[in-house]
Amino acid sequence: MSTAIDPITVEVIGSALSTIVEEMGKAIIRAAYSANIKERRDCSAALFDTEGRIIAQAEQIPLHLGSLLGIAARVLGSTDVAAIQPGDVFIGNDAHTGGGTHLNDIVFLEPVFVEGALVAWVANLAHHSDFVDRGHAHIFQEGLRIPPIRLYRAGVLQQDVMELVLLNCQVPRERVNDFRAQMAANRLGVQRYQALAARYGVAVLHQATRELLDYAERKTRAGIAAIPNGRYEFRAPFDTSLWPELLHLAVAIEVAGDEIRFDFAGNPAQTRSGLNMVFTALQATVYYVVKTLLDQDTPANAGFHRPIRIDAPAGSIVNALPPAAVYSRHDVAQRLVDMCFAALAEAIPDRVPAASTGVTVLTMSGTHPRTGRYYVYNESMGGGFGARAGQDGMDGVHVHTTNSANIPVEALESEQPVMVEAYELVRDSGGPGRFRGGMGIRRRVRAVGHEATVNLGGPCNIVPAWGLEGGLPGGLARVELSAGVAALKRRDGLIPDGGSGAAVTSGGGGRGDPRLRDRDAVRRDLREDRISAEAARDIYGLED
Amino acid sequence: MSVIALPGGLRIGVDSGGTFTDVCLWDGAAGRLSVWKVSSTPGDPSEAIATGIGQALAEAGRAGTEVAYFGHGTTVATNALIEGRGARTGMVTTRGFRDVIEIRRQMRPALYDLQARKPEPPAPRDLRLEVAERLRFDGSVETALDEDEARAAVRRLRDAGVEAVSICFLFGYLAPAHEAMVARLVAEEMPGAFVSTSHEVAPEFREYERFSTTTVNAALGPVMRGYLGRLAPRLAAMGVSATPHLTQSNGGVISAEAASRFPVRTVLSGPAAGVTGALAIGRAAGVPGVITFDMGGTSSDVALIDGGRPRMAVDVAVHGNPLRVPMLDIHTVGAGGGSIAFVDSGGLLKVGPRSAGAFPGPVCYGLGNEEPTVTDANLVLGVLNPTHLLGGRMAIDRARAEAAIARLGAPIGLDAMRTAQGIISVVTANMAKAIRVISVERGYDPRDYVLMAFGGAGPLHAARLARELGMARVLVPRNPGILCAMGLLLSDLRTHLSAGRMLPLSPDGLAGLREGFAGLEAQAASWFAQEGIAEADRATARAIDLRYEGQGHELMVDCPGGPLDEAALAEVTRRFEAAHKQVYGYASPEEPIRVVTLRLEATGRVPKADIAAHPPAATDVSDTIIGTRRVWLPEAGAVVDCPLHDRPRLGPGHRVAGPAVIEQMDSTTLLLPGQVATVDPWLNLMIEEAA
Repeated sequence: MSTAIDPITVEVIGSALSTIVEEMGKAIIRAAYSANIKERRDCSAALFDTEGRIIAQAEQIPLHLGSLLGIAARVLGSTDVAAIQPGDVFIGNDAHTGGGTHLNDIVFLEPVFVEGALVAWVANLAHHSDFVDRGHAHIFQEGLRIPPIRLYRAGVLQQDVMELVLLNCQVPRERVNDFRAQMAANRLGVQRYQALAARYGVAVLHQATRELLDYAERKTRAGIAAIPNGRYEFRAPFDTSLWPELLHLAVAIEVAGDEIRFDFAGNPAQTRSGLNMVFTALQATVYYVVKTLLDQDTPANAGFHRPIRIDAPAGSIVNALPPAAVYSRHDVAQRLVDMCFAALAEAIPDRVPAASTGVTVLTMSGTHPRTGRYYVYNESMGGGFGARAGQDGMDGVHVHTTNSANIPVEALESEQPVMVEAYELVRDSGGPGRFRGGMGIRRRVRAVGHEATVNLGGPCNIVPAWGLEGGLPGGLARVELSAGVAALKRRDGLIPDGGSGAAVTSGGGGRGDPRLRDRDAVRRDLREDRISAEAARDIYGLED
Repeated sequence: MSVIALPGGLRIGVDSGGTFTDVCLWDGAAGRLSVWKVSSTPGDPSEAIATGIGQALAEAGRAGTEVAYFGHGTTVATNALIEGRGARTGMVTTRGFRDVIEIRRQMRPALYDLQARKPEPPAPRDLRLEVAERLRFDGSVETALDEDEARAAVRRLRDAGVEAVSICFLFGYLAPAHEAMVARLVAEEMPGAFVSTSHEVAPEFREYERFSTTTVNAALGPVMRGYLGRLAPRLAAMGVSATPHLTQSNGGVISAEAASRFPVRTVLSGPAAGVTGALAIGRAAGVPGVITFDMGGTSSDVALIDGGRPRMAVDVAVHGNPLRVPMLDIHTVGAGGGSIAFVDSGGLLKVGPRSAGAFPGPVCYGLGNEEPTVTDANLVLGVLNPTHLLGGRMAIDRARAEAAIARLGAPIGLDAMRTAQGIISVVTANMAKAIRVISVERGYDPRDYVLMAFGGAGPLHAARLARELGMARVLVPRNPGILCAMGLLLSDLRTHLSAGRMLPLSPDGLAGLREGFAGLEAQAASWFAQEGIAEADRATARAIDLRYEGQGHELMVDCPGGPLDEAALAEVTRRFEAAHKQVYGYASPEEPIRVVTLRLEATGRVPKADIAAHPPAATDVSDTIIGTRRVWLPEAGAVVDCPLHDRPRLGPGHRVAGPAVIEQMDSTTLLLPGQVATVDPWLNLMIEEAA
């Protein structure tokens, strides 16, 4: 038995642990090479205890939690722990063997030793813009599968492993330099944790860590207890350009006292497409939903997970089994979040938003006419956030489980053979309501001096983001191609030199009757060209 | 305009803050420094400034005509930005890109907050007009500017009653002709409107950050111009003919004229003056490596000075607006003496960022606040005077503070003393975190630096903060409460010029480097001439922002003066690799290096107030003891009788052993057991661990 340490020391150590992961996250962004990490900040960092439980994390993107959840537990379960040495570095990305939620997220995991004993783990992941122009019938088509294996053994690079990985990448020079950034971030984390251990002693550190898990659990339970007990359900059809028919999704949420259960029975079987989610991706999605309902400063450590139970049928689209392809797992994840909020609207209507846009992807690749080398330009786009109780949804943002930055036009065009022709909000895309849904985005990109392979599209092309309390749905998404560009097959196609493709992303749902919207707000939307004169008159009922 | 270096003339520094306006008067002939504090007048800050200067001059028996120099730190731009009181601002931009400043980087402000809001863009959407024009990534023209369309856009803005116009084109920093053309059209069509162009305000790549900075500058322009227009006649009425020089966020001062063209450069004016003051004191005391710790009532500012130079910031945002202008790397946290302590839903003790402010203030003021603050904790622990603050001017209620702290601690099983000490520990941890941001996150080890504590509350917390971070020495200046106003008398004129240039750092890029720096050096020469700086007092320093090809974040590296040849290239390469190693832990010698931005810092030396050395104290240190105070010290595990020293009586050579409390009107310094404070010839306290 251990004696409790005072709450002040716990608070101080908690603050130090969060500083460590924040420093790690910043180190990756600053030192990375590829635009996807340095500009879009598509990376996250975490600390784990010796049982593989998360004790602190700095996530830029909530869905990354799933990727990090997998790897530490997997390494501990499949490796001879006694043989792990200082300077061993594990990498992994395979969604089915515990390294990530899709193959682009490559995780680096390194043990922390103090006086010869393994005391903690540091980990970080980055989304590598690679493995493009692939099939998604099953995971073998999607890229190189890496189970958690050692890239470094006692500080020595395993050159043969590195060569195998790089040979399977389309832009190896970016990969090797991004790997350096990930290595540097973990090194930093190891040093910082060791310094903390030197200061407090490992026993106090571990005790404080246990208390921090308990603390997060208490805060989570307090947050759940504030939701009225009951079973809340929501079903909705879902469309995405990755699948030819509607998918009928279902969620049920049971709140009982200070515990919450998410039941995903009734969802479709896994598909022969990249839409499938592995269980850790589903966990990340659910944890995102719960975290939005708690105090903002609740640490998202393993203690936070304890009062949350998730049931999902194995082999379904939300708990896929090998060899399911998983690249676009965010499509379904984003819609599940909207559905969870719609279900909870019955219990806590003032705290949840109407439905939001999902994620729209825009990837171009080919041979760079200036360098002769292969390039990959990867962008993920947001759109409209659903209207909230008492205020409009945000216009033109990433929503829910993702939050990557855009690539500045001036950075993009300096490096890649493309030109951006427009980057703007889309009129009339915000779902009308007393509080208006957020507006979608248009980004039109031209291929310059070469023929580019393109992967372009997202959800909400048929079924829009719904409103709440009488609010109307947001605008639909679509793809716009310049004359002479052949229609895309699902999302794939070719853009000839000088041709362009645009993503027009969907808007968020509105809230309340649009005729009750504040007249000055309607006039302002009209003046600012956020809504058309017809919409102002016919939908909002503006008479002047 | 010119800087008149009247020997023996009066120099005035005015720091205009939210609560107080501090006036520092330096009489060069007499070698005397005097200080006034008057209440600020937020409606029109120039009113309090005139009152303060008038009183200071009257007290010294001097006339306004004797004032040779007037340095001014102002929160006019900061407050207008934070309160959204900018002018009605329009924007002219590239077709297809009017929403860049609204979409921002597409990220939402808080990951898990479903109620989050994005800050309002500095120009509303209906006043952001697009025109046909487009430049390519290398500055060449893809689509020429349509002048008729641009003129029509400017007229629309005029008719909409716009006071300021922001002109922002993609890649405009590489080829300014299109932006300059629209600026001319604005001058023709709406004379008197404030104009802000992206190639002048923030000539660096990344359109969102540049457009936003440029448009914020536009919105602040008329505000700053109006303020300076009200200040000038007030000064003239007192006979003060010296034009004000305003502190910029980079720590240097600029003329009022430059400040009214680039008000966005003054957003960190106040805290930057504090760093400048710290720099001068560190230089006099022979301490080149300093971490500043400026703790006030609601927030604290920390910054790092390395090798006698303050670090410049990259990627700064103020109130949600990224500002790409030269700024000192000052990190602000929302914790100060008035910050409120509370127990959160998980049972942990937290402090701030909510503050009791100046009113109602801490519980001990007895003005209605019952939630304990950091000041209340220090009072209960016995560190602060138990009956009065501000040198006896303000009566306080210790019992009330203790009751509030006891109520706070009860649910988590802590008595009043332990709760009070807990509040101090949590604040210390928050401050340590802030210092880690500006040191370890940038690759600097805080243990290599002296902690300089100022602001009213800095010296109270510095000893523990230094121990928390393993810092061996703490320096408390003689007048910690007015260091910002003093800094204004210690600043040189300084401007930072920059030019975006995408070049290889190789012989192929040399011609571009030479052309770029020659352009900046010509700009510096005309700036010196405009500011009336004599040849002998001019200095420039080159720097280059570099990154490995393909990397997205740059490192700024000093570039040698003199000819730009292969030897200079080799030296810059060496410095970049060393800097990369320091910050990221590795270098990639096989990777090509890209030049991104050329920078030139131009400094015009001006006569400054001296920080005079004093002779050794003639008295025994025991003569400075004016009583004892019973302080609860966790380091001793008990309430300890601490000697109470009177700071004004301490002189060079005095040594005070901890535990002890050193009191002065504007601050209180706590020494812990095992620490010793020595008074240096400049009357600073240097606190060290006893050997």
